[in-house]
Amino acid sequence: MSAGSLIAADLVVAVLVSAGWLGAGGAAAAGRGRVALGLGLFALLATVVRAVTVVALARAGWWFAAEKVLIAGPFAVAGVAVAAPSLVRRRAAAVPLLFAGYTSIAGLLVSLLHGYPVSVGAGLLAAAGVLAATVATWRFVGPRPSRRVFRAAVLASVAALVAGTGFAVSPGSPSGAGHAHIAPSGAGHAHIAPSGAGHAHTAPSGAGHAHTAPPASVGRGTATVVGKPARRFTLTAATATVNVNGRNVQAWTFNGQVPGPEISATVGDVIEVTLRNKDIDRGVTLHWHGYDVPNDQDGVPGVTQEAVLPGHEFVYRFRADQPGTYWYHTHSASDIGVRKGLYGVLLVHPATSEVDSDVVVPVHTLDGVVLPAPEEAAVPAGTPVRLRLINTDSTTHRYAPGGSYRVAAIDGRELRDPPTVSGTALLIPAGGRYDVVMTAPAALTVDGRLLWSAGGATAAPDGWPVLDPLTYGQSAPGPFARFDRTFTLVLDRGLDLRGLLPRYAHTVNGAADPDIPVQSVRLGDVVRFRIVNRSLVVHPWHLHGYHVLVLSRNGRPATGSPLWLDSFDVRPGEVWEVAFQADNPGMWANHCHNLPHADAGMMLHLMVSG
Amino acid sequence: MRRAFVIVSTVLLVVFALQFVFAAVGAFTRPQGDSSYALHSLTGMAVIPALCILTTLSAVLAKAPGRLIAMTLLPLGLTLVQALLAALSGAFTDAAGGSTTVGLIVGGLHAVNGIIAVHVVVGIVRAASRFAQPATASITPKSSSTVGGAA
Repeated sequence: MSAGSLIAADLVVAVLVSAGWLGAGGAAAAGRGRVALGLGLFALLATVVRAVTVVALARAGWWFAAEKVLIAGPFAVAGVAVAAPSLVRRRAAAVPLLFAGYTSIAGLLVSLLHGYPVSVGAGLLAAAGVLAATVATWRFVGPRPSRRVFRAAVLASVAALVAGTGFAVSPGSPSGAGHAHIAPSGAGHAHIAPSGAGHAHTAPSGAGHAHTAPPASVGRGTATVVGKPARRFTLTAATATVNVNGRNVQAWTFNGQVPGPEISATVGDVIEVTLRNKDIDRGVTLHWHGYDVPNDQDGVPGVTQEAVLPGHEFVYRFRADQPGTYWYHTHSASDIGVRKGLYGVLLVHPATSEVDSDVVVPVHTLDGVVLPAPEEAAVPAGTPVRLRLINTDSTTHRYAPGGSYRVAAIDGRELRDPPTVSGTALLIPAGGRYDVVMTAPAALTVDGRLLWSAGGATAAPDGWPVLDPLTYGQSAPGPFARFDRTFTLVLDRGLDLRGLLPRYAHTVNGAADPDIPVQSVRLGDVVRFRIVNRSLVVHPWHLHGYHVLVLSRNGRPATGSPLWLDSFDVRPGEVWEVAFQADNPGMWANHCHNLPHADAGMMLHLMVSG
Repeated sequence: MRRAFVIVSTVLLVVFALQFVFAAVGAFTRPQGDSSYALHSLTGMAVIPALCILTTLSAVLAKAPGRLIAMTLLPLGLTLVQALLAALSGAFTDAAGGSTTVGLIVGGLHAVNGIIAVHVVVGIVRAASRFAQPATASITPKSSSTVGGAA
């Protein structure tokens, strides 16, 4: 059983335990002694099963089980100790059984609302809840205890409540340690053109921001002062009605189209893109997804630049020196912005190409319609085709190339000796890219829908096994002998009370954006990230500014070609270890690329200072 | 206060009925997206739990018998289970986010649990009305609590 299934199974068993005890207590209160005994025994049995699932989770990783052992464990022991005697005596009493129910519910709520890291505050608040519920039950159900016991319980409950609240809000607690102050490093050189009609034809030189960049931004040699642009593009963001597969959709577009214009260049070119905003009120930026640019070109509003508001513009300029398949998208209001169409393809071609036919498949779901429209291409048999598969959605897609193929590159980085495979599907995470080389006749199915074909067809790809990139291709010795810094990111859900309204946030180490502390490293450090998914959903992880080398997954080292990724799915129960050398200075976003998750708190920052 | 108990529990029942309407709204919204079920989840995770607690509170204040108070706690528990079933159904998906048999079974239980919860609330409304009726006629609270206890 995978750790992901274990997490779900453990949750189900925990619910059964609670339901069993509470049902038994209710039945006892209603005078149904035999039903109460039966349910009580069921709850006891389920508690034993829960012990097994928790031990199994602890073996998969302490992160998965910590609060279940340290908080829910003692609670369960107390509940069983109080309830079991009445079961053994075969005389079901309501209050002890309900007490056991409250302890199991409290443990469950701690896991769901603030599971990681284990906090004294959460434990005490849970204890206060259990005691208060028990006192209230005593008051209304069954024989009342002696006045002294009753008063002691009330007192203990209030004490736990006060202490728990104290721990929860004290600045020393992990959830209260918010000191993330991220100033836009590029604020001084955001290129803002005069608003009004002028912006349409007065294209500024774009050199302003490049020359005034602070020293920290001049990272990769000559990256910032890039020289004379050879490839100039202008992207104007505007709302528009676009026709997709015969349907009119209200979209947010670059130059009136979805996806936006393809930006392509050849290694050695200098790319200059002028971004203008016509009427996107929430502002736009351009983030070059997977293309590792200097920090001030990264397009993260509030961090590397200000969002470009209607009537304004910003000029991006960087050198085309990393051949491969990339994409660009707005990072301002990114969830709604990308979903509504503010994205496009970025290609950097090598100086010489080995294939004749180059096909880009940027999959996107626009208002329920899957893009691009299915295409029948006329490619002569025997012609090699490079299919550049891009996932621009927030969730994983399943790509099934019909015919034999090899995966030449992932996330813009060539793989080492990729073997030819067939009858194998590819799972591409949100934001990820796979370059697949096939020979016509060939075809491509995405999520069971034929999207592209050149005289080929895919037969029943549903049952195909999935290619595991960690075991694909030839391995090579890793470049990192030591790690200067190691960060563990535990992904989960939790209650976030720090905003105006409470929200059930997607959290990293128990905190949600903007309250996750910035992680700082020095320029040149070799940094290792350990990413642990405690939640029930997939989190496609995406660090800006870098490709990371995959070291291991679930403790098993990657044995295939060295994998340098910028987007990778961390599934429930998985633990990934990745590493990179921090050679690109600046403040970098590090977030889940399921953009609704990022909006709901799963976003932090890495500061690389010189 | 007994009247308040009847009113609050009836409002809870109405919102539970509406919740089925909101589920249908989510199911028939095109295109399907994260926000299709916004109304359903908001009602289920905020409005219904709040009304459940209000119902229990009004039952306590109306001095309803322990059994009836215990019964008013049941919808809250079932609502918690309901939210968990919805989350678990989402957890049992294949790697590409597609449904699996287990996920659909868990999703089906979400509906079954919803039906059970509505039945419990119907029972509470009936018991609350019975509990309120003799209250207007009876003179001593003792007699009323006997009637309530028999509910």
